[in-house]
Amino acid sequence: MAEFLQFIITGISVGMVYALIALGFALIWKSSSVANLALGQIVLVSSWFTYSMLKQAELPLYIAFPLVVVFALFLGWVIERFALRPLIAQPILSLIAVTLGIGYFIEGVITFIWPWSVDALPRLFPREVIHIGPAVISQEYVWVIGICLFIFVLLTLFFRYHRMGIAMRATADDQMAVQACGIPVTRVFSTSWMFACVVAAIGGILISSISGITHGLVETGLKSFSVVILGGLDSFIGAIVAGPIIGLAESLGGGYLTPFTWAGVKDIIPFVVIIIVMIIKPYGLFGEVRIERI
Amino acid sequence: MSLPCGTRNYDYAEDMAIVRTKTHWLLLICFFILLFTAPLYFNNYWLGVCNLIGITLIAAVGLNILVGYCGQLSIGHAGFIAVGAYTAAILTNRLELPFLVGLISAGIVSGLIGIVFGLPSVRVKGFYLAITTIAAQFIIIWVINHWSLTGGFVGIKVPYASIGGLVFRSESSQFYLIIIIAALCVFFAKNLARTKVGRAFIAIRDNDLAAEVMGVNLLFYKLLAFFIGCFLAGISGALLAHWIGFLNAEQFSFTESILYIGMIIIGGLGTSIGPIFGVIFIRLLQQILTMEIVPLLEKTFTALPAGFATGVTPILFGLVIVLFLILEPRGLAHRWALFKSAYRLWPFSY
Repeated sequence: MAEFLQFIITGISVGMVYALIALGFALIWKSSSVANLALGQIVLVSSWFTYSMLKQAELPLYIAFPLVVVFALFLGWVIERFALRPLIAQPILSLIAVTLGIGYFIEGVITFIWPWSVDALPRLFPREVIHIGPAVISQEYVWVIGICLFIFVLLTLFFRYHRMGIAMRATADDQMAVQACGIPVTRVFSTSWMFACVVAAIGGILISSISGITHGLVETGLKSFSVVILGGLDSFIGAIVAGPIIGLAESLGGGYLTPFTWAGVKDIIPFVVIIIVMIIKPYGLFGEVRIERI
Repeated sequence: MSLPCGTRNYDYAEDMAIVRTKTHWLLLICFFILLFTAPLYFNNYWLGVCNLIGITLIAAVGLNILVGYCGQLSIGHAGFIAVGAYTAAILTNRLELPFLVGLISAGIVSGLIGIVFGLPSVRVKGFYLAITTIAAQFIIIWVINHWSLTGGFVGIKVPYASIGGLVFRSESSQFYLIIIIAALCVFFAKNLARTKVGRAFIAIRDNDLAAEVMGVNLLFYKLLAFFIGCFLAGISGALLAHWIGFLNAEQFSFTESILYIGMIIIGGLGTSIGPIFGVIFIRLLQQILTMEIVPLLEKTFTALPAGFATGVTPILFGLVIVLFLILEPRGLAHRWALFKSAYRLWPFSY
């Protein structure tokens, strides 16, 4: 029972981080229908940047964190301005391939600057464990859940009330109409990239503060696609609901299935979920089913 | 195809001929003579590079049929190559079957696995399919790493390829084996694009709904594209296994899959000559970079950061892929076509 509760809490918190990263994906997909496959590398590079700020430059957290946010904003802006802007209205294949190229590029930069490839972030959250019933849970999981929920609320409010948020929703709905209304679509695109990078960076910091910075973070970024797929590509609420589901599936499956299969089954569960969803309900739980006309 | 001045087609056979004029024949024969005497002027190191190019080319041709002609985006090609490589390795090492049996069954097993992961393509396309194939890549690699039959993380040894009593042990004998199969694959792909099947693929790529309305069986042709693409990947994997002699799942990483996508984009999607250009470009760049330029730079500049040697290749390749997509999305094949027409029309190019 205690074990079960532990799996649930870790599952939900890891799932929340997946949801956060997936939100970054959905943001870009909704506004500009670009599939950002460089998400994993963006997560990884922002974690390494945080590491440099906190450990190598030894800045306190309240200075380092804004710097990381600025870095992520800049990263998003650069990617959008120099790689995606020239490719507006190109076929989806080019858009996917260009993000793959960007991801590869970022990976090279990472090995260039941080060649030792594995390290731990300093602890961001208090160490004391909490007892929930019979379970003993590390406090950081609870913190992660809290921070993720806070960001979800923040983003929801932004999309509901802020001018830019409304413009972004409008762009997602109908690009032509938005352009006719005088909303600068290109600015909407770059804003969505900047936001996505910030959200992914925060997700990266949260997950690497628990499990360290490794190359596996790229895979974490790819795993968060299972959240997007399960929740529906263009749905924020889908990402928020599907994140914990994937996280739970991963941690419960890793906890209880390993004796029956080979080791490391945990890492593969999100990918299996992708295949299953693709076969049963390809547009996800909350995704809009597109009806095509010739 | 535009013909030289004064050449006309008078019947269907002339119209459909791949090699049309005497000059074409001459050039082609010269090219083949050069190709088959290559072991005379290349040393073992460069023959090895040629072998790698040939092996990669087979897989890239398959991926080009799948992505370039049929428009079904697959980012898990290295996974399908791994299936072929391990099938060949298991059949020849553990069961001690002959090489040719291993080669053909590697292709078939890989193709069938491709069909399984291609099944979602019937309902989804674009990004959804890309994600499915990425998932396929990770699932395949995980299975390879943990199944006792494949040797897991330790890896598996593969004997030399042999047909009858002939054992392909040296680089030059393997060169002939690989080049002949690669040439057959390129020829097959070139002809496939001109048949009913190839035209159906192109129709699906351009607009799958319209193709379906016109009577193209989407289910059949999409899965056929997956089968052919992955079959060639399997053949390439089997040759790779016999060429290296040792397999480990690290050789089939996700970045390798990205590189394959990069190759066919750089070469030119949906052209028969594109994969050749792309593969030669990427593999040569890789070799020259890691074997010549990086050691040279490390010798001249001693203050280089520690990650320079491993970091510079992905940086450059990422940059090349992005730049090609932005500046020349039709790839090197388009440049080649431009060069040919400029040459044909010179000096009156208007």
